[in-house]
Amino acid sequence: MGNLSAEQVKRLADNFMRMANALGDYRYNNIDSLTEEQNIKIKEIHNQQLAATTELYTKSAVLVLEDAQDALGKIDTITTESQELYKKLTNVQGILDRASSVLNLASAILALDVSAVTSSIQELVS
Amino acid sequence: MPQYHVKYVFLFLSSALLFSSCVNLKHVTEFSKSAVESVETFETLSSSFSQTCLEDCQSKNIAALNIHQTDCDCSQNEEADRVTALIYHGLQGYFYALTNISDNQLTNYQTDGLTNSITSGNFGSIQVNEADVKSYSNIITLVGRAFTDGYRRNKIKTYISNANQPVQDLLHFLDLNLAGNLKNKLEVQKSSLKNYYFDLVRDKKLSTYERTKFAEDYFSRIQEIERQQNELAAYSKILNSIAEGHASLNSEVEKLSDTELKVALAKYGSQLKRHSTALLKK
Repeated sequence: MGNLSAEQVKRLADNFMRMANALGDYRYNNIDSLTEEQNIKIKEIHNQQLAATTELYTKSAVLVLEDAQDALGKIDTITTESQELYKKLTNVQGILDRASSVLNLASAILALDVSAVTSSIQELVS
Repeated sequence: MPQYHVKYVFLFLSSALLFSSCVNLKHVTEFSKSAVESVETFETLSSSFSQTCLEDCQSKNIAALNIHQTDCDCSQNEEADRVTALIYHGLQGYFYALTNISDNQLTNYQTDGLTNSITSGNFGSIQVNEADVKSYSNIITLVGRAFTDGYRRNKIKTYISNANQPVQDLLHFLDLNLAGNLKNKLEVQKSSLKNYYFDLVRDKKLSTYERTKFAEDYFSRIQEIERQQNELAAYSKILNSIAEGHASLNSEVEKLSDTELKVALAKYGSQLKRHSTALLKK
């Protein structure tokens, strides 16, 4: 199974399902002409075919990881890069806010306003 | 240089910076927001690989009239759910990041605090004029925004064009697993139910009431499976719209402010909202 792609396994499963359904339809359409034994046998085989088919769909879904690995790696890198850019751009606002706090403090010192100095320091360290 | 010349130079610089920097990416943000919201309807889907496996296993035990040692091995199906969720989270993370970095508010820096900090007045030997403070503050904002906006715009273009192929691939694989593999597993489940109920409904040893009840059970279970299949089909439409929207964004990436692109993205955005509403109603 290792060499088949997820898409190929899914196509196999689709074909299996068509075959299984054909067998099921044969049983439903010819039920009156089948012996009880034949009916039970076909019913059992039909069931086994359906069980194998559903398993193939699961296999295909698991195999998707191998096929999607490359795309997943690329998208994760791009997402991380854009998250970092977002942080950088958000930091610019932080730097501006910080600069404002420093300037507030400088203005208060120049104006010799003690209460403003206190509140500016509080703003700076908050 | 005479004073008024300096003012004209400032005016020219400010206008040039304003035009080059104010790139409105609202349409990109709106589209990626719609993509996030609609792709997240994944979490409302009522079927999964492991759930289907458990139901199949239960049906097998019911058919065998067995209620003892009914453990089901659904480990492969749990793995299939993990793979599907991994792809979903990859797409969700990308569209979240695109929404955040294309948001105009991101580089719309506020310098009111800065302006208010430098109050006009006479500080010993330093004289500060209020009009100058405002002008310089505005220039700082424009220069800062021009730099960050230009940088941001170029980065977004690179992200979108580099991400397009992996995004298309992941959307395709998510669709393959949900509208392909899971939806068809449900189709197999419908066939298995018919295989089981067919003989019970026809069994003349049972009373008409019992046979009618079996028929009713059968139709009610088929109806529920079809409801789940319709959910998956509706989700598939969402994935296709996102794929088309991102492809259109990528093909016009050099003209991010182009009107045609805005119209196309708005169309995909409203298509996504329509598909999501339809899915949530199912």
